[in-house]
Amino acid sequence: MTERTSASVPITTDEANLSEGSAYDFYFGPAHPGSGNFGVKLKIEGETVVSARADPGYLHRGFEKLMEYRTPLQNAVLSDRICVLEALNWNLIHAEAVEELMGIEPPERAKYIRVIMAELSRIQSHIIWYGAFCIGIGFDTGFKLAFGYRDYILDIFEAVTGGRVYPAGYICPGGVRRDFPPGLVKRITEVLDKVEKMVAVEALENPLLSARAKDIGILKLEDAIRLGATGPVLRASGMKADVRKDDSYEVYDRFDFDVPVRDEGDAYSRYVIGMEEIRQSARIVKQALEGLPEGEIIAPSLKKPKLTTKIPVGEVYVRNEVARGEAGMYMCSDGSGRPYRVKIRGPSFLHMIPVLEHLLIGAQIADVPAIYWSLNVCPADLDR
Amino acid sequence: MATEKEASIEEQLASDLNITCETKRPRRLWASVDNQRLVKICKWAREHGFEHLSAISAVDWVEENSYELLYHLWSYEDKILLTLKTKIDRETPAINSVSPVWKESAQIHERELHELFGIAFAGNDDLAPLFLEDWQGPPPFRKDFNWREYVRSEYYDRENERERAYYD
Repeated sequence: MTERTSASVPITTDEANLSEGSAYDFYFGPAHPGSGNFGVKLKIEGETVVSARADPGYLHRGFEKLMEYRTPLQNAVLSDRICVLEALNWNLIHAEAVEELMGIEPPERAKYIRVIMAELSRIQSHIIWYGAFCIGIGFDTGFKLAFGYRDYILDIFEAVTGGRVYPAGYICPGGVRRDFPPGLVKRITEVLDKVEKMVAVEALENPLLSARAKDIGILKLEDAIRLGATGPVLRASGMKADVRKDDSYEVYDRFDFDVPVRDEGDAYSRYVIGMEEIRQSARIVKQALEGLPEGEIIAPSLKKPKLTTKIPVGEVYVRNEVARGEAGMYMCSDGSGRPYRVKIRGPSFLHMIPVLEHLLIGAQIADVPAIYWSLNVCPADLDR
Repeated sequence: MATEKEASIEEQLASDLNITCETKRPRRLWASVDNQRLVKICKWAREHGFEHLSAISAVDWVEENSYELLYHLWSYEDKILLTLKTKIDRETPAINSVSPVWKESAQIHERELHELFGIAFAGNDDLAPLFLEDWQGPPPFRKDFNWREYVRSEYYDRENERERAYYD
Protein backbone atom coordinates (compact mmCIF):
# COMPACT_ATOMS: atom_id res chain seq x y z
CA MET A 1 0.00 0.00 0.00
CA THR A 2 1.29 3.44 -0.90
CA GLU A 3 1.74 6.00 1.77
CA ARG A 4 -1.26 8.30 2.11
CA THR A 5 0.17 11.78 2.25
CA SER A 6 -3.20 13.45 2.62
CA ALA A 7 -4.10 11.62 5.78
CA SER A 8 -2.69 13.16 8.89
CA VAL A 9 -3.59 10.04 10.87
CA PRO A 10 -1.96 6.99 9.33
CA ILE A 11 -4.14 3.94 8.94
CA THR A 12 -1.82 1.45 10.54
CA THR A 13 0.25 2.53 13.48
CA ASP A 14 1.98 -0.64 14.52
CA GLU A 15 4.05 0.90 17.26
CA ALA A 16 1.05 2.58 18.81
CA ASN A 17 -0.87 -0.68 18.71
CA LEU A 18 1.89 -2.53 20.47
CA SER A 19 2.33 0.02 23.20
CA GLU A 20 -1.36 0.51 23.93
CA GLY A 21 -2.27 -3.15 24.04
CA SER A 22 -5.92 -3.38 23.07
CA ALA A 23 -6.13 -0.23 20.92
CA TYR A 24 -6.57 -0.66 17.20
CA ASP A 25 -7.39 1.41 14.13
CA PHE A 26 -10.63 0.93 12.30
CA TYR A 27 -11.61 2.46 9.00
CA PHE A 28 -15.37 3.04 8.75
CA GLY A 29 -16.03 3.50 5.02
CA PRO A 30 -15.60 4.75 2.33
CA ALA A 31 -17.13 1.83 0.42
CA HIS A 32 -18.98 0.37 3.38
CA PRO A 33 -22.72 -0.12 2.75
CA GLY A 34 -23.44 1.62 6.02
CA SER A 35 -21.43 4.76 5.38
CA GLY A 36 -22.05 6.04 1.87
CA ASN A 37 -19.07 7.35 -0.04
CA PHE A 38 -17.28 8.64 2.99
CA GLY A 39 -14.79 7.34 5.50
CA VAL A 40 -13.99 7.93 9.16
CA LYS A 41 -10.76 6.73 10.70
CA LEU A 42 -11.46 5.50 14.17
CA LYS A 43 -9.14 4.49 16.93
CA ILE A 44 -10.76 1.98 19.20
CA GLU A 45 -9.85 0.74 22.62
CA GLY A 46 -11.84 -2.29 23.66
CA GLU A 47 -15.31 -1.32 22.44
CA THR A 48 -14.94 2.44 22.80
CA VAL A 49 -13.95 4.95 20.14
CA VAL A 50 -11.10 7.08 21.46
CA SER A 51 -10.42 9.21 18.42
CA ALA A 52 -12.18 9.89 15.14
CA ARG A 53 -10.90 11.63 12.03
CA ALA A 54 -13.18 12.20 9.04
CA ASP A 55 -11.62 11.44 5.67
CA PRO A 56 -13.70 13.13 2.94
CA GLY A 57 -12.87 13.37 -0.73
CA TYR A 58 -14.07 10.02 -2.05
CA LEU A 59 -16.81 11.79 -4.00
CA HIS A 60 -15.11 15.13 -4.69
CA ARG A 61 -16.10 16.33 -8.16
CA GLY A 62 -15.17 19.99 -7.95
CA PHE A 63 -18.60 21.41 -8.87
CA GLU A 64 -17.61 24.90 -7.78
CA LYS A 65 -14.86 24.92 -10.39
CA LEU A 66 -16.96 23.16 -13.04
CA MET A 67 -19.67 25.80 -12.72
CA GLU A 68 -17.20 28.55 -13.61
CA TYR A 69 -16.88 27.00 -17.06
CA ARG A 70 -20.61 26.63 -17.74
CA THR A 71 -23.65 28.81 -18.39
CA PRO A 72 -26.55 28.95 -15.89
CA LEU A 73 -28.52 26.76 -18.26
CA GLN A 74 -25.93 24.00 -17.93
CA ASN A 75 -25.32 24.66 -14.25
CA ALA A 76 -29.01 24.09 -13.50
CA VAL A 77 -28.52 20.50 -14.65
CA LEU A 78 -25.24 20.22 -12.79
CA SER A 79 -26.84 21.45 -9.57
CA ASP A 80 -28.94 18.26 -9.42
CA ARG A 81 -25.85 16.31 -8.60
CA ILE A 82 -24.77 18.33 -5.58
CA CYS A 83 -26.86 16.02 -3.45
CA VAL A 84 -28.28 12.89 -4.99
CA LEU A 85 -30.97 12.50 -2.38
CA GLU A 86 -32.50 15.97 -2.67
CA ALA A 87 -31.72 17.12 -6.19
CA LEU A 88 -34.74 19.46 -6.47
CA ASN A 89 -33.75 21.47 -3.41
CA TRP A 90 -30.32 22.15 -4.87
CA ASN A 91 -31.90 23.03 -8.21
CA LEU A 92 -33.90 25.63 -6.35
CA ILE A 93 -30.89 27.22 -4.65
CA HIS A 94 -29.04 27.55 -7.93
CA ALA A 95 -32.07 29.06 -9.64
CA GLU A 96 -32.56 31.57 -6.81
CA ALA A 97 -28.93 32.67 -6.94
CA VAL A 98 -29.07 33.32 -10.69
CA GLU A 99 -32.43 35.08 -10.43
CA GLU A 100 -31.23 37.38 -7.69
CA LEU A 101 -28.19 38.36 -9.76
CA MET A 102 -30.31 38.93 -12.86
CA GLY A 103 -33.09 40.68 -10.95
CA ILE A 104 -35.77 38.34 -12.26
CA GLU A 105 -38.91 37.47 -10.33
CA PRO A 106 -40.44 34.09 -11.22
CA PRO A 107 -44.23 33.98 -11.74
CA GLU A 108 -46.54 33.10 -8.83
CA ARG A 109 -47.47 29.70 -10.16
CA ALA A 110 -43.81 28.77 -10.55
CA LYS A 111 -43.15 29.73 -6.93
CA TYR A 112 -45.95 27.46 -5.72
CA ILE A 113 -44.77 24.59 -7.91
CA ARG A 114 -41.26 25.08 -6.57
CA VAL A 115 -42.44 24.88 -2.98
CA ILE A 116 -44.48 21.75 -3.71
CA MET A 117 -41.58 20.03 -5.42
CA ALA A 118 -39.03 21.11 -2.82
CA GLU A 119 -41.22 19.82 0.01
CA LEU A 120 -41.89 16.51 -1.75
CA SER A 121 -38.15 16.25 -2.20
CA ARG A 122 -37.67 16.88 1.52
CA ILE A 123 -40.22 14.17 2.34
CA GLN A 124 -38.52 11.57 0.17
CA SER A 125 -35.15 12.56 1.59
CA HIS A 126 -36.45 12.13 5.14
CA ILE A 127 -37.88 8.74 4.18
CA ILE A 128 -34.38 7.74 3.11
CA TRP A 129 -33.23 9.03 6.48
CA TYR A 130 -35.59 6.58 8.12
CA GLY A 131 -34.29 3.78 5.88
CA ALA A 132 -30.64 4.59 6.41
CA PHE A 133 -31.12 4.96 10.15
CA CYS A 134 -32.75 1.53 10.22
CA ILE A 135 -29.86 -0.05 8.37
CA GLY A 136 -27.50 1.74 10.75
CA ILE A 137 -28.97 -0.18 13.66
CA GLY A 138 -29.30 -3.44 11.73
CA PHE A 139 -33.04 -3.32 10.99
CA ASP A 140 -33.16 -4.18 7.30
CA THR A 141 -36.95 -4.30 7.00
CA GLY A 142 -37.17 -0.58 7.69
CA PHE A 143 -34.69 0.11 4.94
CA LYS A 144 -36.71 -1.79 2.36
CA LEU A 145 -39.95 -0.26 3.54
CA ALA A 146 -38.49 3.23 3.24
CA PHE A 147 -37.26 2.74 -0.29
CA GLY A 148 -40.61 1.28 -1.28
CA TYR A 149 -42.51 4.31 0.00
CA ARG A 150 -39.98 6.71 -1.47
CA ASP A 151 -40.77 5.27 -4.89
CA TYR A 152 -44.33 6.61 -4.68
CA ILE A 153 -42.84 10.10 -4.55
CA LEU A 154 -40.36 9.31 -7.29
CA ASP A 155 -43.36 8.36 -9.47
CA ILE A 156 -44.63 11.92 -9.02
CA PHE A 157 -41.20 13.32 -9.87
CA GLU A 158 -41.15 11.22 -13.01
CA ALA A 159 -44.57 12.49 -14.06
CA VAL A 160 -43.59 16.12 -13.51
CA THR A 161 -39.90 16.38 -14.36
CA GLY A 162 -39.28 13.31 -16.50
CA GLY A 163 -36.59 12.05 -14.16
CA ARG A 164 -37.06 9.95 -11.06
CA VAL A 165 -33.97 10.89 -9.07
CA TYR A 166 -32.38 13.64 -11.16
CA PRO A 167 -34.83 16.25 -12.45
CA ALA A 168 -32.27 17.56 -15.01
CA GLY A 169 -32.61 21.17 -13.97
CA TYR A 170 -36.41 21.14 -13.66
CA ILE A 171 -36.30 24.17 -11.37
CA CYS A 172 -34.38 26.51 -13.66
CA PRO A 173 -33.57 30.22 -13.45
CA GLY A 174 -36.83 32.08 -14.11
CA GLY A 175 -39.29 29.44 -12.99
CA VAL A 176 -39.82 25.76 -13.72
CA ARG A 177 -39.51 23.89 -16.99
CA ARG A 178 -42.87 22.15 -17.24
CA ASP A 179 -46.32 22.55 -15.78
CA PHE A 180 -48.05 19.85 -13.75
CA PRO A 181 -49.68 17.15 -15.87
CA PRO A 182 -53.46 16.69 -15.47
CA GLY A 183 -54.62 14.70 -12.46
CA LEU A 184 -51.42 15.27 -10.51
CA VAL A 185 -52.99 17.05 -7.54
CA LYS A 186 -55.10 13.99 -6.69
CA ARG A 187 -52.08 11.72 -7.04
CA ILE A 188 -49.96 13.84 -4.71
CA THR A 189 -52.70 13.86 -2.06
CA GLU A 190 -53.02 10.07 -2.23
CA VAL A 191 -49.28 9.55 -1.93
CA LEU A 192 -49.04 11.94 1.01
CA ASP A 193 -51.77 10.02 2.86
CA LYS A 194 -49.89 6.78 2.34
CA VAL A 195 -46.59 8.25 3.46
CA GLU A 196 -48.04 9.90 6.56
CA LYS A 197 -49.63 6.63 7.60
CA MET A 198 -46.33 4.81 7.15
CA VAL A 199 -44.45 7.38 9.22
CA ALA A 200 -47.00 7.32 12.02
CA VAL A 201 -47.14 3.54 12.28
CA GLU A 202 -43.74 2.25 11.24
CA ALA A 203 -41.33 5.05 11.94
CA LEU A 204 -42.65 6.61 15.13
CA GLU A 205 -44.29 3.71 16.91
CA ASN A 206 -41.47 1.25 16.50
CA PRO A 207 -40.08 0.48 19.98
CA LEU A 208 -36.94 -0.98 18.46
CA LEU A 209 -35.71 2.39 17.24
CA SER A 210 -36.21 4.22 20.50
CA ALA A 211 -34.68 1.40 22.54
CA ARG A 212 -31.63 1.36 20.31
CA ALA A 213 -31.02 5.05 19.66
CA LYS A 214 -32.01 6.86 22.85
CA ASP A 215 -29.22 8.52 24.84
CA ILE A 216 -26.47 7.90 22.29
CA GLY A 217 -24.59 10.61 20.43
CA ILE A 218 -25.78 13.48 22.61
CA LEU A 219 -25.07 16.91 21.14
CA LYS A 220 -25.45 19.81 23.57
CA LEU A 221 -26.74 23.11 22.26
CA GLU A 222 -23.56 25.11 22.84
CA ASP A 223 -21.56 22.39 21.08
CA ALA A 224 -24.03 22.35 18.21
CA ILE A 225 -23.59 26.08 17.62
CA ARG A 226 -19.83 25.94 18.01
CA LEU A 227 -19.52 23.03 15.56
CA GLY A 228 -21.75 24.70 12.99
CA ALA A 229 -24.73 22.32 13.12
CA THR A 230 -27.88 23.46 11.34
CA GLY A 231 -31.29 22.10 10.42
CA PRO A 232 -32.73 19.04 12.17
CA VAL A 233 -29.47 18.43 14.06
CA LEU A 234 -29.56 21.89 15.62
CA ARG A 235 -33.30 21.70 16.29
CA ALA A 236 -32.90 18.38 18.10
CA SER A 237 -30.47 20.15 20.44
CA GLY A 238 -33.05 22.75 21.39
CA MET A 239 -32.62 25.66 18.98
CA LYS A 240 -35.67 26.77 17.03
CA ALA A 241 -34.08 27.83 13.76
CA ASP A 242 -35.39 27.14 10.29
CA VAL A 243 -34.39 29.12 7.21
CA ARG A 244 -37.92 28.75 5.82
CA LYS A 245 -39.28 30.68 8.81
CA ASP A 246 -36.38 32.97 9.73
CA ASP A 247 -35.16 33.95 6.27
CA SER A 248 -38.17 33.09 4.17
CA TYR A 249 -37.72 32.47 0.47
CA GLU A 250 -40.15 31.68 -2.36
CA VAL A 251 -43.63 31.71 -0.77
CA TYR A 252 -42.97 29.85 2.49
CA ASP A 253 -44.22 32.78 4.58
CA ARG A 254 -47.75 32.19 3.26
CA PHE A 255 -48.07 28.70 4.73
CA ASP A 256 -48.89 27.57 8.19
CA PHE A 257 -46.43 24.99 9.53
CA ASP A 258 -44.58 24.22 12.74
CA VAL A 259 -40.87 23.83 13.34
CA PRO A 260 -40.42 20.76 15.57
CA VAL A 261 -37.85 21.24 18.34
CA ARG A 262 -36.57 18.84 21.02
CA ASP A 263 -34.14 19.30 23.86
CA GLU A 264 -32.49 15.90 24.26
CA GLY A 265 -29.98 16.22 21.43
CA ASP A 266 -29.51 12.45 21.15
CA ALA A 267 -29.64 10.29 18.04
CA TYR A 268 -33.28 9.35 18.58
CA SER A 269 -34.47 12.93 18.98
CA ARG A 270 -32.74 13.94 15.74
CA TYR A 271 -34.49 11.12 13.97
CA VAL A 272 -37.87 12.00 15.49
CA ILE A 273 -37.46 15.60 14.34
CA GLY A 274 -36.99 14.27 10.82
CA MET A 275 -40.15 12.19 11.00
CA GLU A 276 -42.11 15.15 12.41
CA GLU A 277 -40.85 17.25 9.53
CA ILE A 278 -42.41 14.82 7.06
CA ARG A 279 -45.80 15.70 8.55
CA GLN A 280 -45.08 19.41 8.43
CA SER A 281 -43.90 19.20 4.84
CA ALA A 282 -47.06 17.32 3.94
CA ARG A 283 -49.03 20.20 5.50
CA ILE A 284 -47.16 22.71 3.35
CA VAL A 285 -47.72 20.69 0.17
CA LYS A 286 -51.46 20.42 0.87
CA GLN A 287 -51.78 24.16 1.47
CA ALA A 288 -49.76 24.94 -1.65
CA LEU A 289 -51.90 22.60 -3.75
CA GLU A 290 -55.02 24.36 -2.49
CA GLY A 291 -53.69 27.81 -3.23
CA LEU A 292 -51.97 26.93 -6.50
CA PRO A 293 -52.63 29.93 -8.78
CA GLU A 294 -53.08 29.78 -12.55
CA GLY A 295 -50.69 31.47 -14.92
CA GLU A 296 -47.25 31.36 -16.43
CA ILE A 297 -44.58 29.00 -15.10
CA ILE A 298 -41.47 30.82 -16.28
CA ALA A 299 -40.45 34.47 -16.45
CA PRO A 300 -41.03 35.87 -19.98
CA SER A 301 -37.40 36.94 -20.49
CA LEU A 302 -36.13 33.41 -19.85
CA LYS A 303 -38.92 31.56 -21.61
CA LYS A 304 -36.65 30.75 -24.52
CA PRO A 305 -33.25 30.38 -22.89
CA LYS A 306 -30.38 31.63 -25.03
CA LEU A 307 -26.76 30.73 -24.70
CA THR A 308 -25.89 34.41 -25.03
CA THR A 309 -27.74 35.35 -21.81
CA LYS A 310 -25.42 37.44 -19.64
CA ILE A 311 -25.38 37.53 -15.86
CA PRO A 312 -25.05 41.13 -14.62
CA VAL A 313 -22.05 42.05 -12.47
CA GLY A 314 -22.73 41.39 -8.83
CA GLU A 315 -22.58 38.93 -6.01
CA VAL A 316 -25.18 37.16 -3.94
CA TYR A 317 -25.43 34.69 -1.09
CA VAL A 318 -28.67 32.69 -0.94
CA ARG A 319 -29.68 30.42 1.91
CA ASN A 320 -32.25 27.66 1.82
CA GLU A 321 -33.44 25.02 4.22
CA VAL A 322 -32.79 21.66 2.59
CA ALA A 323 -33.63 18.36 4.25
CA ARG A 324 -30.24 18.20 5.96
CA GLY A 325 -30.01 21.74 7.22
CA GLU A 326 -28.85 25.09 5.96
CA ALA A 327 -27.65 25.18 2.37
CA GLY A 328 -26.01 28.23 0.90
CA MET A 329 -24.74 29.35 -2.46
CA TYR A 330 -22.46 32.29 -3.06
CA MET A 331 -22.39 33.38 -6.67
CA CYS A 332 -20.29 36.15 -8.15
CA SER A 333 -20.44 37.39 -11.72
CA ASP A 334 -18.12 39.60 -13.75
CA GLY A 335 -20.74 40.29 -16.39
CA SER A 336 -20.05 37.38 -18.72
CA GLY A 337 -22.41 34.51 -19.44
CA ARG A 338 -20.79 32.29 -16.84
CA PRO A 339 -20.51 32.79 -13.09
CA TYR A 340 -17.06 34.00 -12.06
CA ARG A 341 -17.12 32.00 -8.84
CA VAL A 342 -19.61 29.72 -7.13
CA LYS A 343 -19.28 28.59 -3.54
CA ILE A 344 -21.57 25.85 -2.35
CA ARG A 345 -22.22 25.47 1.36
CA GLY A 346 -23.62 22.06 2.11
CA PRO A 347 -25.01 21.25 5.54
CA SER A 348 -23.22 17.89 5.61
CA PHE A 349 -19.85 19.63 5.38
CA LEU A 350 -20.25 20.65 9.01
CA HIS A 351 -22.30 17.65 10.12
CA MET A 352 -19.89 15.07 8.79
CA ILE A 353 -16.60 16.57 9.88
CA PRO A 354 -16.72 18.61 13.12
CA VAL A 355 -20.04 17.32 14.47
CA LEU A 356 -19.43 13.67 13.64
CA GLU A 357 -15.88 13.68 15.01
CA HIS A 358 -17.17 15.28 18.21
CA LEU A 359 -20.02 12.77 18.66
CA LEU A 360 -18.03 9.64 17.90
CA ILE A 361 -15.42 10.16 20.59
CA GLY A 362 -16.43 8.05 23.56
CA ALA A 363 -19.13 6.18 21.63
CA GLN A 364 -19.41 2.41 21.52
CA ILE A 365 -18.32 0.89 18.23
CA ALA A 366 -21.77 -0.66 17.69
CA ASP A 367 -23.33 2.81 17.96
CA VAL A 368 -21.14 4.35 15.27
CA PRO A 369 -23.54 3.68 12.34
CA ALA A 370 -26.54 4.77 14.42
CA ILE A 371 -24.90 8.08 15.33
CA TYR A 372 -23.65 8.52 11.78
CA TRP A 373 -27.11 8.13 10.25
CA SER A 374 -28.87 10.10 12.95
CA LEU A 375 -27.12 13.15 11.44
CA ASN A 376 -28.90 12.53 8.11
CA VAL A 377 -25.67 12.90 6.22
CA CYS A 378 -25.06 13.12 2.49
CA PRO A 379 -21.44 12.66 1.37
CA ALA A 380 -22.34 14.23 -1.97
CA ASP A 381 -23.05 17.71 -0.62
CA LEU A 382 -20.02 17.49 1.64
CA ASP A 383 -17.60 16.65 -1.16
CA ARG A 384 -19.40 18.60 -3.90
CA MET B 1 -35.69 48.79 2.53
CA ALA B 2 -33.87 48.18 5.74
CA THR B 3 -35.85 47.27 8.82
CA GLU B 4 -35.12 48.52 12.32
CA LYS B 5 -32.76 45.69 13.25
CA GLU B 6 -30.67 46.10 10.15
CA ALA B 7 -30.50 49.83 10.71
CA SER B 8 -29.43 49.32 14.31
CA ILE B 9 -26.63 46.91 13.31
CA GLU B 10 -25.55 49.28 10.58
CA GLU B 11 -25.42 52.08 13.12
CA GLN B 12 -23.48 50.03 15.68
CA LEU B 13 -20.95 48.92 13.06
CA ALA B 14 -20.44 52.56 12.11
CA SER B 15 -20.13 53.85 15.68
CA ASP B 16 -18.12 50.96 17.22
CA LEU B 17 -15.85 50.06 14.34
CA ASN B 18 -16.21 52.85 11.80
CA ILE B 19 -17.46 50.47 9.09
CA THR B 20 -20.05 51.42 6.51
CA CYS B 21 -22.23 48.62 5.27
CA GLU B 22 -24.83 48.29 2.61
CA THR B 23 -28.23 46.61 2.86
CA LYS B 24 -28.67 44.92 -0.49
CA ARG B 25 -32.06 43.53 0.40
CA PRO B 26 -33.89 42.85 3.67
CA ARG B 27 -31.76 40.61 5.94
CA ARG B 28 -28.64 40.99 3.81
CA LEU B 29 -25.87 43.30 5.01
CA TRP B 30 -22.55 43.55 3.16
CA ALA B 31 -19.46 45.30 4.43
CA SER B 32 -15.91 45.64 3.17
CA VAL B 33 -13.26 45.57 5.87
CA ASP B 34 -9.50 45.86 6.11
CA ASN B 35 -7.76 42.48 6.41
CA GLN B 36 -5.70 43.63 9.42
CA ARG B 37 -8.84 44.40 11.41
CA LEU B 38 -10.78 41.32 10.37
CA VAL B 39 -10.39 39.25 13.54
CA LYS B 40 -11.29 42.20 15.75
CA ILE B 41 -14.43 42.85 13.71
CA CYS B 42 -15.33 39.14 13.77
CA LYS B 43 -15.03 39.13 17.56
CA TRP B 44 -17.36 42.11 17.69
CA ALA B 45 -19.82 40.32 15.40
CA ARG B 46 -19.71 37.13 17.49
CA GLU B 47 -20.47 39.15 20.62
CA HIS B 48 -23.34 40.93 18.88
CA GLY B 49 -25.33 37.83 18.02
CA PHE B 50 -23.64 36.52 14.86
CA GLU B 51 -23.18 33.08 16.36
CA HIS B 52 -23.29 31.10 13.14
CA LEU B 53 -20.55 31.22 10.53
CA SER B 54 -22.48 30.04 7.52
CA ALA B 55 -19.53 29.84 5.14
CA ILE B 56 -16.27 31.40 4.07
CA SER B 57 -15.91 31.95 0.33
CA ALA B 58 -12.82 32.94 -1.58
CA VAL B 59 -12.75 34.63 -4.98
CA ASP B 60 -9.63 34.72 -7.08
CA TRP B 61 -9.44 38.15 -8.78
CA VAL B 62 -6.54 37.18 -10.96
CA GLU B 63 -6.40 40.44 -12.92
CA GLU B 64 -5.98 42.66 -9.89
CA ASN B 65 -3.74 40.07 -8.25
CA SER B 66 -5.76 39.59 -5.09
CA TYR B 67 -7.94 37.11 -3.30
CA GLU B 68 -11.21 38.23 -1.83
CA LEU B 69 -12.42 36.42 1.27
CA LEU B 70 -16.08 36.57 2.26
CA TYR B 71 -17.34 35.61 5.71
CA HIS B 72 -21.07 34.95 5.73
CA LEU B 73 -22.38 35.36 9.28
CA TRP B 74 -25.88 34.63 10.47
CA SER B 75 -27.51 35.91 13.60
CA TYR B 76 -30.07 33.52 15.07
CA GLU B 77 -31.39 36.31 17.23
CA ASP B 78 -31.75 39.17 14.75
CA LYS B 79 -32.18 36.91 11.72
CA ILE B 80 -29.75 38.88 9.60
CA LEU B 81 -26.96 37.72 7.32
CA LEU B 82 -23.85 39.88 7.51
CA THR B 83 -21.16 39.33 4.90
CA LEU B 84 -17.71 40.69 5.67
CA LYS B 85 -15.47 41.07 2.65
CA THR B 86 -11.74 41.52 2.75
CA LYS B 87 -8.94 41.41 0.20
CA ILE B 88 -5.52 39.84 0.57
CA ASP B 89 -2.48 39.60 -1.63
CA ARG B 90 -2.55 36.77 -4.15
CA GLU B 91 1.18 36.04 -4.35
CA THR B 92 1.62 35.22 -0.66
CA PRO B 93 -1.97 34.70 0.47
CA ALA B 94 -2.12 34.83 4.26
CA ILE B 95 -4.59 36.09 6.83
CA ASN B 96 -5.27 35.65 10.52
CA SER B 97 -7.57 32.76 11.32
CA VAL B 98 -11.03 33.38 12.75
CA SER B 99 -11.02 29.95 14.41
CA PRO B 100 -10.53 31.54 17.87
CA VAL B 101 -13.91 33.22 17.28
CA TRP B 102 -16.06 30.49 15.73
CA LYS B 103 -13.94 27.48 16.76
CA GLU B 104 -14.37 24.26 14.78
CA SER B 105 -16.91 25.60 12.31
CA ALA B 106 -14.42 28.27 11.16
CA GLN B 107 -11.54 25.86 11.33
CA ILE B 108 -13.01 23.47 8.79
CA HIS B 109 -13.95 26.18 6.28
CA GLU B 110 -10.41 27.54 6.46
CA ARG B 111 -8.97 24.09 6.01
CA GLU B 112 -10.94 23.74 2.77
CA LEU B 113 -9.77 27.11 1.45
CA HIS B 114 -6.19 26.32 2.37
CA GLU B 115 -6.32 23.24 0.20
CA LEU B 116 -8.24 24.68 -2.75
CA PHE B 117 -6.72 28.19 -2.88
CA GLY B 118 -3.48 27.84 -0.96
CA ILE B 119 -4.37 30.51 1.60
CA ALA B 120 -2.42 30.32 4.86
CA PHE B 121 -4.52 30.99 7.96
CA ALA B 122 -2.28 32.05 10.83
CA GLY B 123 -3.55 30.59 14.07
CA ASN B 124 -5.41 27.64 12.58
CA ASP B 125 -3.68 24.56 13.91
CA ASP B 126 -5.16 22.01 11.51
CA LEU B 127 -4.77 22.81 7.83
CA ALA B 128 -4.27 19.21 6.69
CA PRO B 129 -5.42 18.31 3.17
CA LEU B 130 -9.12 17.60 3.06
CA PHE B 131 -10.53 16.39 -0.27
CA LEU B 132 -7.54 15.77 -2.52
CA GLU B 133 -5.48 12.69 -1.97
CA ASP B 134 -1.81 12.71 -2.97
CA TRP B 135 -2.22 16.08 -4.68
CA GLN B 136 1.06 17.45 -5.99
CA GLY B 137 -0.17 20.24 -8.28
CA PRO B 138 -0.91 23.90 -7.56
CA PRO B 139 -4.07 24.86 -5.59
CA PRO B 140 -6.71 23.72 -8.07
CA PHE B 141 -9.34 26.44 -7.59
CA ARG B 142 -7.03 29.26 -8.63
CA LYS B 143 -8.19 30.90 -11.83
CA ASP B 144 -4.87 30.36 -13.58
CA PHE B 145 -4.92 26.63 -12.92
CA ASN B 146 -5.93 25.00 -16.19
CA TRP B 147 -7.38 21.67 -15.17
CA ARG B 148 -7.84 20.47 -18.75
CA GLU B 149 -4.14 20.96 -19.41
CA TYR B 150 -3.21 19.39 -16.08
CA VAL B 151 -5.32 16.27 -16.70
CA ARG B 152 -3.84 15.90 -20.18
CA SER B 153 -0.28 16.11 -19.00
CA GLU B 154 -0.73 14.03 -15.85
CA TYR B 155 -3.17 11.33 -16.79
CA TYR B 156 -3.19 10.87 -20.59
CA ASP B 157 -0.61 9.45 -22.91
CA ARG B 158 -0.16 10.92 -26.40
CA GLU B 159 1.36 7.68 -27.64
CA ASN B 160 -1.67 5.67 -26.53
CA GLU B 161 -4.05 5.32 -29.46
CA ARG B 162 -7.19 5.56 -27.36
CA GLU B 163 -6.05 8.64 -25.45
CA ARG B 164 -4.58 10.57 -28.38
CA ALA B 165 -7.92 12.25 -29.05
CA TYR B 166 -7.57 14.31 -25.86
CA TYR B 167 -4.64 16.17 -27.37
CA ASP B 168 -6.18 17.28 -30.66
